[in-house]
Amino acid sequence: MLRRWFNKILKREQERRVSFQEIFTLFQEILSLNNRTLDLIAEANDKLSGDYIFDRRYIETFQEETASLVHQLIYKLNLISPGKYQELNESFHRIESDIRQILAGRLLCPTDRYVLDYKEIAEKHLGEAAGGKNTHLAEIMEFLGITIPPSFAITTAAYFHFLQENGLPEKIEKIIDRWHQGETGIGEASKEIRSLILAARLPADIRKEIDMYLDAIRQAHPEKKPYFAVRSSAVGEDSEFSYAGQYASRLNVSRYRVIEAYREVVASVYSERAMEYRQSKGVLESEIAMAVACQQVVNARVSGVLYTYHPVHPEKETMEISSAWGLGAPIVSGRVLTDHFTVARRAPHEILELKVVRKQTALMPAGGKEKKEVPVPEKQQTIPSLTDGQLRGLAEIGLRIEKFYKKPQDIEFAIDEDGEIVILQARQLAMRGKTLPVARELAEILEKYPVISRGRGTVAQMGIASGTVFVLENDEDLDKVPQGAILVARYASPRLARVIRKVSGIITDVGAVTGHLATVAREFRVPTIMNLEHATEIFETGEEVTIDAQENIVYEGLVRELYHFSLAEEDIEETYEYRLLRRVLKKIEPLYLLDPKDPDFTPQGCRTLHDIIRFVHEKVVEEIIDYNYHHPHNMDAVSGKLDWKFPLDMVIIDMGGGLAPGAVGKGKKIVPEQITSQPMRALLDGIAHPGAWNNEPMSVDFGSFMSSLTRTMSAETMSPRELGQNLAVISDCYINVSLRLGYHFTVIDAYVVDNVKDNYAYFRFSGGVTDISRRSRRAAFIGEALARHDFHVELHEDLVEGRIKKMDRQGMLDRLNLLGILIGFTRQLDVKMVTDEQIAYYIEKLQELLENDNHE
Amino acid sequence: MNEKRTLSILILDDEPIVSKRLKPSLEKRGYVVETFTESLEALKRIKERNFDIVITDLKMEGVDGMEFLTEVKKRSPETEVIVITGFATMETAKESFKKGVFDFLSKPFKLGEITEIIEKAEEKILSR
Repeated sequence: MLRRWFNKILKREQERRVSFQEIFTLFQEILSLNNRTLDLIAEANDKLSGDYIFDRRYIETFQEETASLVHQLIYKLNLISPGKYQELNESFHRIESDIRQILAGRLLCPTDRYVLDYKEIAEKHLGEAAGGKNTHLAEIMEFLGITIPPSFAITTAAYFHFLQENGLPEKIEKIIDRWHQGETGIGEASKEIRSLILAARLPADIRKEIDMYLDAIRQAHPEKKPYFAVRSSAVGEDSEFSYAGQYASRLNVSRYRVIEAYREVVASVYSERAMEYRQSKGVLESEIAMAVACQQVVNARVSGVLYTYHPVHPEKETMEISSAWGLGAPIVSGRVLTDHFTVARRAPHEILELKVVRKQTALMPAGGKEKKEVPVPEKQQTIPSLTDGQLRGLAEIGLRIEKFYKKPQDIEFAIDEDGEIVILQARQLAMRGKTLPVARELAEILEKYPVISRGRGTVAQMGIASGTVFVLENDEDLDKVPQGAILVARYASPRLARVIRKVSGIITDVGAVTGHLATVAREFRVPTIMNLEHATEIFETGEEVTIDAQENIVYEGLVRELYHFSLAEEDIEETYEYRLLRRVLKKIEPLYLLDPKDPDFTPQGCRTLHDIIRFVHEKVVEEIIDYNYHHPHNMDAVSGKLDWKFPLDMVIIDMGGGLAPGAVGKGKKIVPEQITSQPMRALLDGIAHPGAWNNEPMSVDFGSFMSSLTRTMSAETMSPRELGQNLAVISDCYINVSLRLGYHFTVIDAYVVDNVKDNYAYFRFSGGVTDISRRSRRAAFIGEALARHDFHVELHEDLVEGRIKKMDRQGMLDRLNLLGILIGFTRQLDVKMVTDEQIAYYIEKLQELLENDNHE
Repeated sequence: MNEKRTLSILILDDEPIVSKRLKPSLEKRGYVVETFTESLEALKRIKERNFDIVITDLKMEGVDGMEFLTEVKKRSPETEVIVITGFATMETAKESFKKGVFDFLSKPFKLGEITEIIEKAEEKILSR
């Protein structure tokens, strides 16, 4: 009885079990979907380069296609392991509904945190949570290393939560409706809404977080009682500077009045002026969210404002600085007379003009209590409030900020008690000169400048940049790249991303506009032209050039008019469609799920569609390896173990034509000579490449080394996945190889036929035994090597993905051979890679290896 | 582009980003450019003057792009019309060419693609 029941269960089990053939077909489909989706996302990112003209419809179509592909991925994974990853659907719907909301014009806060420190804002690109003012200061601090006061941001998540908890959105909507229908005047409506906000209770959880940050600032300097500036930092549908002055800021607020000031700043969203402005521009109320900057007030000896260009006469190539003694408020509002300095934009920033006024009063911190206006000592009244050194320091900082944002800047600064320059605010300077060139006149002006290159190469990031050329001869020189240089390099290597904040522009001989470097160039808006073929020969270190990556032209010398024109031009990146695509991509493109061992590596942990793609990929590879481990003798296809001098410990499964007829005999052993699969042969040839093994990283004798890699631990203590059965599924024209050597994991998937269009190869490498920095170094090395051989490379910490397609048969086989070499070459390279310089060293070693082979 | 004659271009697309991106770039190349997002206004304008080149979207509120270009061609057969559209189908392409449009480009496209077409149109116009 029991036995019959048992057999019945067993039979049902077997029926339900998906066969290997089925799993493998699904696996291939998933890989192909995976590649298509990643291509689609990379193409969308490329649209942000500014070289494309796209509209809202494109963004919608892109979103629909991507969502549909990801949905299919989830569906197929669930076919392989029924019921196991159902929660993926929930994550998918959550992300998709967010994207729909974004497309419908709603602002979503990218984090649920109420308060953020500046480091986080810059590192995690949380501008949409922190607003313009916060984000600019955060980036200046984090990316440019410039001193700003201790600060934190109260996010738009706090704003939404604050309004919501008090039932305000509905009430505000009603009032706005009445105003729109002419039932109430704007003054009345504004007053009503503002008093609602001012009377509302700030939820305890927000209050608690704000208190925590205030305490932290207090504790950093317990001897002084801190005061704060509470400033608006809105996220809106219009560029930040068109809103200038519409929202409230509260200066010199004591710690206990910060909450009150916060309410006042939030209420200023509904000032008459702001409401009027939104109505005239057709901006919806739902498109406004107020983040707030909370900044410790600097006990300033001197305060002032710096313009990085003369706002009316940019052709004078000067910076304009105004300053006076004491705190900044009266200077910014123009209530006191100020000294005025004119400084050359060009280093060493000669001081061209100096107008010193008699400064009779100054706003000074008065013994920790309120600030008050005090008389300036007679002796100080007529001396310049800034020293030559401070002026030059300011000019240098101003230029750096301008270079970073690619627009002239209006910068508020202070000189603190220690004489150090502290930046309080930086925003785009509105240029209003009649002397600014207009596009129509430019055509004629530009004809006079000699052109070095026109229409050659591909624009990876639009924009205009002038600077001195630095031709990168070898990677060790990367540290020598001067500030503001135009970097010219042979390859668009991911490694160049390291100097992205230093350079004004990039030109490369070779490179993919959908690759890693292009993505980074777009992130930092560094004008970049790739595939200019002989750039490294055409350009010389030290010469001055101007890149017009808008029109894909490189001019000899500095083309001032072009640069001035670009300063006044509205950034294409600031248009609604760009912002919309960037926002949509934020829910699709970033990869947060990196480490499969991380407890967050779960369906619920997926925050973006890319996370889902990655999760599905990881799981399907696991499934196929598990299956192979648990059913090694249950194959539907011909299979056997590779018997080779290199103990790869690999099982080969032939799906058709991959092995010579009758190759698998009784012992189930396969020797390499019996393999007829061309891509597999190419890969194995690479692994067996003579030089690869004798290379320097090898210090132990080969046999013991290899076996230590494949069998590093005793089988009992390891789960099947970690022990890893090295598996190759092959056919005459196809390979799928999963390798776990030691602690790192490699997947290769390739298809090679005569029809170039169908050819592709995918390579994925991750993990290692060392700390993340060494592993990442090895990943960077592999990424570099792949990029040099035409792979499209993506790097995320220690994960490298390389993809290549549409290359002819021989080209594909050569690259598979390279992958084989890399597998051998990089086995324990992470252990050896102690410094970044070694990346370049091993790239050269690899190059030597490849060249030696050619001579043989 | 060294010819003395300055060519005039009208751009009509209901999505402002298209004009915003194209206008400065074409002006930098020495063309005189007028842009419209409302087809009715563009229609009014072409009744006032002829343009050498007209760039228009097909699917728009109000007057449809096909109607618009028909009107352009009726008034000034010399005008070269370039169609840009997000919904490129064989049918619309065929119909456009039947109406005598110079070229047909589907969105999204690269700046270089459209300038190339404009340069070809310019060549044709100047060789007349």
